Amino acid sequence: MSKISIPIGPQHPLLKEPLSMKIDISGEKVLGGSLRLGYVHRGIERLAQKRNYVQTIHLVERVCGICSHIHTTTFCQAVESLLKLEVPPRAQYLRALMCELERIHSHLLWLGILAKHVGLDTIFMHTWHDRELALDVMEEITGGRVLHGANQIGGVRFDLDESHFPMIYANLEKLRSQISGLLDILENEPALIARTKGVAPVSQKTIRQYGVAGPVARASGVDVDMRRDNPLPPYDQLKFSVVTMPDGDAWARTIVRAEEIRESLNLCEMILEDLPDGEVSKRAPRNVPEGEVIIRSEAPRGELFYYLRSDGTDQPARLKIRTPTLAALCLLPVQMSDIQVADIPVVLAGVDLCVACADR
Amino acid sequence: MTYFRKRFSIISAIFEALIKPPETVDYPKGALMLPEGFRGALHFDTDQCIGCGLCVRNCPADALHMEKKSRDEYKLIHYPARCAYCGQCEDNCRHVAIYHSNQLVKPTDNPAGLIVVLKEKKEA
Amino acid sequence: MFEALFYLLIFPGGFFLVLVGLGFEWLDRKLLALFQRRVGPPWYQPLADLIKLFSKEDLLPKGGNELVATLLPLISLCAVLVAGLYVPIAGFTPYSFEGDLIVILFLMSVPTLAYYLAGIISIGIYSILGGGRSLLQYFSYEVPFLIALSGPAVLARSWSIEGILTAQFTLGSFVLFQPLGFILALVGLIGKLKRDPLDIPSAKSEVVGGSLTEFSGGKLGFWHLAMNIQAVVGIFLIINLFLGWTKLANPFVAILVFFLEFLVIVGMLSSASAIFARLRIDQLAGLGWRILVPLSLAQILFVILMGV
Repeated sequence: MSKISIPIGPQHPLLKEPLSMKIDISGEKVLGGSLRLGYVHRGIERLAQKRNYVQTIHLVERVCGICSHIHTTTFCQAVESLLKLEVPPRAQYLRALMCELERIHSHLLWLGILAKHVGLDTIFMHTWHDRELALDVMEEITGGRVLHGANQIGGVRFDLDESHFPMIYANLEKLRSQISGLLDILENEPALIARTKGVAPVSQKTIRQYGVAGPVARASGVDVDMRRDNPLPPYDQLKFSVVTMPDGDAWARTIVRAEEIRESLNLCEMILEDLPDGEVSKRAPRNVPEGEVIIRSEAPRGELFYYLRSDGTDQPARLKIRTPTLAALCLLPVQMSDIQVADIPVVLAGVDLCVACADR
Repeated sequence: MTYFRKRFSIISAIFEALIKPPETVDYPKGALMLPEGFRGALHFDTDQCIGCGLCVRNCPADALHMEKKSRDEYKLIHYPARCAYCGQCEDNCRHVAIYHSNQLVKPTDNPAGLIVVLKEKKEA
Repeated sequence: MFEALFYLLIFPGGFFLVLVGLGFEWLDRKLLALFQRRVGPPWYQPLADLIKLFSKEDLLPKGGNELVATLLPLISLCAVLVAGLYVPIAGFTPYSFEGDLIVILFLMSVPTLAYYLAGIISIGIYSILGGGRSLLQYFSYEVPFLIALSGPAVLARSWSIEGILTAQFTLGSFVLFQPLGFILALVGLIGKLKRDPLDIPSAKSEVVGGSLTEFSGGKLGFWHLAMNIQAVVGIFLIINLFLGWTKLANPFVAILVFFLEFLVIVGMLSSASAIFARLRIDQLAGLGWRILVPLSLAQILFVILMGV
């Protein structure tokens, strides 16, 4: 059969955000593809140079909707390290609580999208309903479901008191029981296994060559996790395990993310038990002394990298963000070489696209 | 046996969902419950405001604007269409003159509703 | 003459079938929503969708054949409406003759071929892919479907549906004698209607709308109507061939039994739609020829031996 080229264009039912791919197919077999980004570029790094540090926190939060909290946390950690400001321990624990809740909600969103692309609409609806339990907790304590506004330079802007705890524990219990039922279905459903096992495996060598980190790398056997390798407090005092699988296909990525939800639930309960007392923020000066700093942290999709340079005024001189999705997207043309047309949604879902992150 | 039990757990999940009430709300006919701390529409207390301008300095979205001629003559304007509902103005104000309620912002088709003059004080 | 027009346009063809088709779509969508913990659409939603579609703009890409694109949905609609005349509804059918089962099976295949042609003539990339897939799917499920539907005919020694219905009244419901045939007929029906889990030609994430990507307006309204009525006629066929028990003396009891059997089969179809994931086309071809065809052959052998 002759070779035709189909566009998975800027608008497609498969994509949440615009992205342009041209895929060459012949019959039902995919021969290769090429990628083009930049449809959601907003120039956030340039806009940050015109605003002061307090305004930049809110700007950076809107880089991505799903992983908004980790962006503000990393930025605040960068500024605090330039100011040489020590954040109180209660604030560190509260920041970690929000990070883990965000990881739960991001992975549940991803599970729903994978189920929808494979054809299991029921699991999509049930998963997104269970995600509401995590979002309700975040809304109750910070005031926003997706854009929390939780961080400020020197600490956090919210606090937990006695009336919040029963509701948080009840939601976490309910989430735990729903998750175990869901993971039973995922690990044993024959149609899902048949659609995802053996699809587009990626070797360890390719992962290291492209510099990918996060669940995509852990599913190929690369054992890297910023929470354990480069820990900022309080992760150096919490015990958790890192899940890896050797195969590198779409099935391994599903299992890695599903087990990470369980680990995050355990971490949330550990944080709530060990929560220290004290104040939640320290007053920070307005002008930041000169210097430059690099901070790396673990976003739900991989390794997030921030570079910040200041020149003594109250506006950043240069802010550079490298998001994890950018490296994972560069893997896509490599994976599109030996699969069928019906596997394209599974491969795209396995990468866990967040194009707003990649384009900034 | 456990294989069959796990395999058919989706069937039991479906029939359980049939018995329980649905989880979505028939909006706008049904009621929507918002928690107390939800950051909704801005409310302004004219008596408390002294015209210091701290709320304007840190607004990330340029939604507040102050025309200040002297200590007793100023005009504070708010653009609701630009507001990002971040709560930074509420944090910076020391007199609790501007704060978020937990009501949702209603849409309007009146173009004059896009510029709201919060406080105007003239020289006596 | 007026009697013939009444049968053709009001009951059991035409108007009655359109109403039952819209009712089937509502029931299916509401059940699926309840399975997924949602509220679901109100009862007038399929009718509102139909009226909305007829009021929209009607476009086709440049180079597509406008005349053929208009004729194809109309031909499918006419074919399924004619097929609806011969299927007994609560034991009543105005016309029946020996061999009408075969005629109905021919008429029900017309929409599938029209779907394939619609994909080819509306020259878009996704339409051609969807059309090709629909033909591949047709070859995979049609053979076990036909063999499974011949089982009741062999057992009742008659090729007319009315004869099969009468035979069930004396012998008992045929689903008790050939449950495997019942399951195979349901699977074949899911494939023919292109529903989840066999909606491969119109899988939203891969080919955006299948063959019907470029259709809009009134043509799409006729396609949806034809697919709904095809579903209804298929369900009536399975009720009459396997479940039976509707040729009773009291017409009200017959209507009630027929309605309950209709609800049971719609419930089974919606549950299958909610439980299973979509197959790939090569997995469907493997499933069809390696598992379904031998099972259906075994079933018909069993029926023949039992009849002797």
